[in-house]
Amino acid sequence: MDWQAFSLSIELAVVTLLVLLPFGVLAGRWLARTRFSGKAWVEAFVVLPLVLPPTVLGYYLLVSLGAGSPLGRWLLDSFDVRLTFNFAGLLIASLVFNIPFIVQPVQRAFEAIPDNLAEAASVCGLGDWQTFWRVELPLAWPGILSAMVLTFVHTLGEFGVVLMMGGSIPGETRTVAIAIYDRVQSFDLAGADRMALLLLVLSLGAVAASFFASARLVARR
Amino acid sequence: MSDRRDGPRALRVEIDQQEPMPLRGRFECSAGELLALVGPSGAGKTSMLRVLAGLMRPQRGRVEVGGQVWCDSEQGIFLPPQRRHVGLVFQNYALMPHLSAADNVALAMLHLPTAERDAQARRWLDHVRLSGEQQMRRPGALSGGQQQRVAVARALAREPKLLLLDEPFSAVDQMSRQGLYRLLAQLRSDLDIPILLVTHDLNEARLLADRLVVMDAGAVLQEGPPEHIHRAPRNARVADLVGMHNRFQGVWMGPSGRAGWGLLKWVTAAGGASEDEDMLLEVRDKGKIKPGQPVNWVVPGDGILLGSDGNGEALEARVSDARHLGEITLASLTLERNPQISLRITLAGPQRQRIANGDRLAVRLDPALVHVMPLHPRPPALTT
Repeated sequence: MDWQAFSLSIELAVVTLLVLLPFGVLAGRWLARTRFSGKAWVEAFVVLPLVLPPTVLGYYLLVSLGAGSPLGRWLLDSFDVRLTFNFAGLLIASLVFNIPFIVQPVQRAFEAIPDNLAEAASVCGLGDWQTFWRVELPLAWPGILSAMVLTFVHTLGEFGVVLMMGGSIPGETRTVAIAIYDRVQSFDLAGADRMALLLLVLSLGAVAASFFASARLVARR
Repeated sequence: MSDRRDGPRALRVEIDQQEPMPLRGRFECSAGELLALVGPSGAGKTSMLRVLAGLMRPQRGRVEVGGQVWCDSEQGIFLPPQRRHVGLVFQNYALMPHLSAADNVALAMLHLPTAERDAQARRWLDHVRLSGEQQMRRPGALSGGQQQRVAVARALAREPKLLLLDEPFSAVDQMSRQGLYRLLAQLRSDLDIPILLVTHDLNEARLLADRLVVMDAGAVLQEGPPEHIHRAPRNARVADLVGMHNRFQGVWMGPSGRAGWGLLKWVTAAGGASEDEDMLLEVRDKGKIKPGQPVNWVVPGDGILLGSDGNGEALEARVSDARHLGEITLASLTLERNPQISLRITLAGPQRQRIANGDRLAVRLDPALVHVMPLHPRPPALTT
């Protein structure tokens, strides 16, 4: 069992979630509440990481952020910052890859709140923030919870993008999914087996728990 | 009434917009008065309430409540709903599904400390007669009538200067409706604020309201006490909207021999004026219509009298359709003289037992209740 890879994956998932959650809630709510021409394009870009092969996404990230790209060169020259083959690069890839997983469920959750509840809140004297905290957030919470779980689990298991952007540097970019791949490549099927099983149990447990919690939250209404 | 209308809490509304939907009208409501906005679906009743609540900003208009200007497009004033102190009962109540009844009501009093807020919420819910156990339930676990009471309590907890009710009775059954009518009647006497009720149910409007505002296609057509609108609808559309079935066409012939009276020629729907001299009716002349002008005219149900004794000429009629509905009977009568003309009457009491299909009887139109309207009225002016 490669505990180092495992803890790296957990770390990546936690940081991804912390960075992405506020963005996802605001973007999802904005998409649910706003009508504008070109909204379909914005929504298409949000979903794109879901339908694009992870290697293609990883490839574009690599060529646009790598040391050979104008952006990568400028970052390296000005700030001595590299965004490929290290944890920062991994995080950027993970953030981009998870946008649909957080934004879509959050958007659906906010869309499901009847418009007149926000209006009723404003007639009751609630300002925009009060309405958000006291009405919209509690009602959207089951959707936000499942978005968080999906993002977390999805980050634990992601492979293609991570491999393209990070390679397989132990302790730096070798996540659990890549470690499993490496074990299989070196015919250590028993090692791969254990890690795959752990990932499977963890993912299934988290998703099932979130569905259970959502169902309970919805039933309480 | 006029002295109360000038009170400091009176409501004055004047709206004139074309976009995004036409909305046009002008009305007032005094403190303690209940005004019903009536009209068909899409007439703009709910939009009017939304403008008053601050949920919609009118293109042009002015809303003044209790001497405070809530909206004035000319001066660029538009108070958001949060600053209006308006109580609004939404059509489907719009209660927060994740909060208990008590917390829903408390939501309207966030400016108070928590303990006081909860105490006030309980007090308001007691006031609308919700039990302590019901107050702890979420809206999903309450009946339609109970949810409506919570919505009313939440609106009142805001200590509104104006109470707006959007079709509040549409989603509750007849039994709870009666209780809610009583609640509303009690509120009217307790609160000294203008109350606006949107409804498409004319009986409800007549039962509850001091005055009606009749709306159609976004415009206010007429405003006044129900009995006045029923006696003297401004035009044929208003007559239709307030459910006056006995509407006919005619030609105004000018003054008759008697002072204050004139002659109305009864024209059938087929278009041709009856040459029959006897189809002339002598009715009140208000001096507003020129001789020879085509007109619409109406007679309310209580202006159609059975039997040949009394004022007005008796007309021979045959009962073409009699329907006995519970306590009342609806009947259509066809005139013998011109079978194209039919009158609709509502009968109650012993009278109705004598009515059966095919019966012949004499009817009279009370000339004092016949109301004549120009065929093409000018739209009501916005300024007084």
